[in-house]
Amino acid sequence: MMLVVLALTALGLYFTQRKVAATAERDLQENFQAKLVSLHKIQELRHTALTERCGELVSKPRIHAALEDNALDLLYPSAKDELRDLMEEPEPSQAEAADSLHARFYRFLDATGAILSPPNPQDVGELGAEVKAQLALKKLPEMQQIGYLSETADASDEAVDEVMVVPIFSTETGDVISALVVGFKPFEVISKSAGPGLKSGIWMNGRLHLPSVPKSAQSAIGDQIANAVSKSDSVQNNINVTINGTPQLLFYKLLNPESIFPPAYEICLYPLTESVAQQRRLRWQIGGAGALLLLGGFVVSHLVAARLSVPVEKLALDSEKDRLQRRRAEAALASTSEELERSARYSADASHQLKSPVSVLRAGLDSLLGREDFKPEVYHELSALLHQTYRLTGVIDDLLLLSRVDAGHLQIEAEPVNLGELIEEWLDDLSALPESPEMKIEKELPAEIYVAGEKRYTSLIVQNLLENARKYNRPGGCIRVAARRDIAEVVLTVGNTGRPIAQTAQQHIFERFHRGAPVSDISGHGLGLNLARELARLHGGDLRLLRSDNDWTEFEVRFRVARPSLRRAAEVA
Amino acid sequence: MGLRGLLFFNAIFALLPITVFAGAVVEGRVELPKSHFAPVMAKRYEIVTTGGVLSPQPPVAVVYLDGSFAKPPSPATKQIAQKDLTFLPSLLPVQVGTRVEFPNLDDTYHSIFSYSPAKRFDVGRYRPEERPIPSEVFDTPGLVTLRCDIHEHMRGLILVLNTPYFVVTNPDGRFRLSGLPSGRYALKAWINSKTTREQPVELEADTVLHVDFP
Repeated sequence: MMLVVLALTALGLYFTQRKVAATAERDLQENFQAKLVSLHKIQELRHTALTERCGELVSKPRIHAALEDNALDLLYPSAKDELRDLMEEPEPSQAEAADSLHARFYRFLDATGAILSPPNPQDVGELGAEVKAQLALKKLPEMQQIGYLSETADASDEAVDEVMVVPIFSTETGDVISALVVGFKPFEVISKSAGPGLKSGIWMNGRLHLPSVPKSAQSAIGDQIANAVSKSDSVQNNINVTINGTPQLLFYKLLNPESIFPPAYEICLYPLTESVAQQRRLRWQIGGAGALLLLGGFVVSHLVAARLSVPVEKLALDSEKDRLQRRRAEAALASTSEELERSARYSADASHQLKSPVSVLRAGLDSLLGREDFKPEVYHELSALLHQTYRLTGVIDDLLLLSRVDAGHLQIEAEPVNLGELIEEWLDDLSALPESPEMKIEKELPAEIYVAGEKRYTSLIVQNLLENARKYNRPGGCIRVAARRDIAEVVLTVGNTGRPIAQTAQQHIFERFHRGAPVSDISGHGLGLNLARELARLHGGDLRLLRSDNDWTEFEVRFRVARPSLRRAAEVA
Repeated sequence: MGLRGLLFFNAIFALLPITVFAGAVVEGRVELPKSHFAPVMAKRYEIVTTGGVLSPQPPVAVVYLDGSFAKPPSPATKQIAQKDLTFLPSLLPVQVGTRVEFPNLDDTYHSIFSYSPAKRFDVGRYRPEERPIPSEVFDTPGLVTLRCDIHEHMRGLILVLNTPYFVVTNPDGRFRLSGLPSGRYALKAWINSKTTREQPVELEADTVLHVDFP
């Protein structure tokens, strides 16, 4: 017995732990994705700004004059004025570097792709021989290019420059006669704006440039990236890596697709340390709770065993006392059940007492309508009265149901209800109504969607919403019904065109006997929404108004998803 | 004196030599390139560039008598205005030593400069009402391309010549140069930035010579 308990507890703990781990993993992924998205937003903005600025520069008349009017000696002096804002602002600090467009250097290439030497290299940013070699192009590009150049600043450190190469087209011949190259510190290496935890860098030519990661680790990750890139054709991907024993999530993305420069990849690293620590903590907590549970089990079973070993005489003595107590308890139970029965009967009685006169009234009106010796306006009056009796029955039904809800007597027997089918049925009924105005019905229902509830009440909620959507619609309007599954809930939205509910009235629509629109020709008694909401809440869900403006009113009701075991049972049945 | 008055004055001044010295006359016609090509720049700009050649549009030529002549004692002053974001005239032949003024007749800033080897200058930004009118003296022969730093499509040409004897043809290519000194010279026709034609001429006083540039 103890072994079984032990095994069951262990199994329970195992599954709980697995579920927790999976949730943590998903949270982490989401967190990482959110950080990446914000990083890429900033990157994109910066890139757009740079493209625009460089595009503007290469159309400057002075730069064109220098290139086209045989005045190359004036090229750099002219560019100096034009690029003053990019070059001469003070070197930004590390923290704000990502947000500024400070250029590290610029150069012009001649028609053959070779670098045009500047008269004063210190004015245009000095370049190492390595960078110069990578910059000299065989041919001028016809499109703007993004490239990344690596540079060995000193023996231990390597730097990367991001260059934007913008072709300059002659205004005389339309040919590419030169190109402007502007070099920046790459955003990926300097960026700090993505927040703590996320590290970004660049991987190119088989080497990783990620200043915040130790050198030894860089080459190891570099190899893993090389491996991942060579295996996959996609320009971006996620892989898991381990740095100094810490697991990390690594994202890579090709930065310069279709560039004449070698491919460079953006690398983002996100440590899983926090998640691992959290998982470890949770494992301890779950383990501890399990141990306590087992200990409690032992104590209880010991006590029970001790009780069992008490002599039989004592048991006999006690049993007499017990019998007395039982009898008392039985009497109390009987009176409680009577009370319950009475209360149930009250509902039935009330229903009977209220409905019988209405039925009599209806029968009388029916027979009067059957006679043929009245004037036409009398028939009109009679059928209006008859209609009122139906309305009255509706109010009585709703009131009785509400009174049961209020008294806490309404118990929901949850079973899987096929919500899709229910909606389809009601939509069918709706379109069959004679006074139904011409309207379009849009449905977005998953093939199989089960909610936990009692069918008649679930149906009542759906009916209320759909009827409202029809009643308060305008001719030629539209009803949209959509259901989707959240994690543990099914969300059903019912929207309709038509005059919106007044802003001031919106907070009262769920009150009893309140009606959204003061339109007298629309039947209803102002209990429907209140009832639907009470019922939805009884089902463990809720009903609310999503919006009502601009010719559109939309309600949302949430149900609990039917548990799979229940759903299977329903399918078998 | 407005621009028109000044131009009129210049025209009178140019006619003076005929009355004073009854020199030789050359007249004829320059075969001009057809103007049916589509201009690279917007149509309103009168200096268009096609295949790297700057030429006036509609085509006209500058016919001049080449040789070394004495500079005039006091330099002449001519004008190229900026009007409706174009240079007016868009092609101006001048003798070496001539001062050219650049009046701004638009109601916006202009900033005229040139990086041409024959004359590098930059008058900077200026408003229409600014006085004195920005001007430059052109003292090296050659073709000067005018640009505006603010309006990147504006182009103007100044053809700086060694000679005081030059004339712009009419749109048919017809020209007449008078008051010329006697002797052997080269008569040249500048057609665009890449094409200048040449004919040897022998001039005699009071004689009209007919020369065509086919």
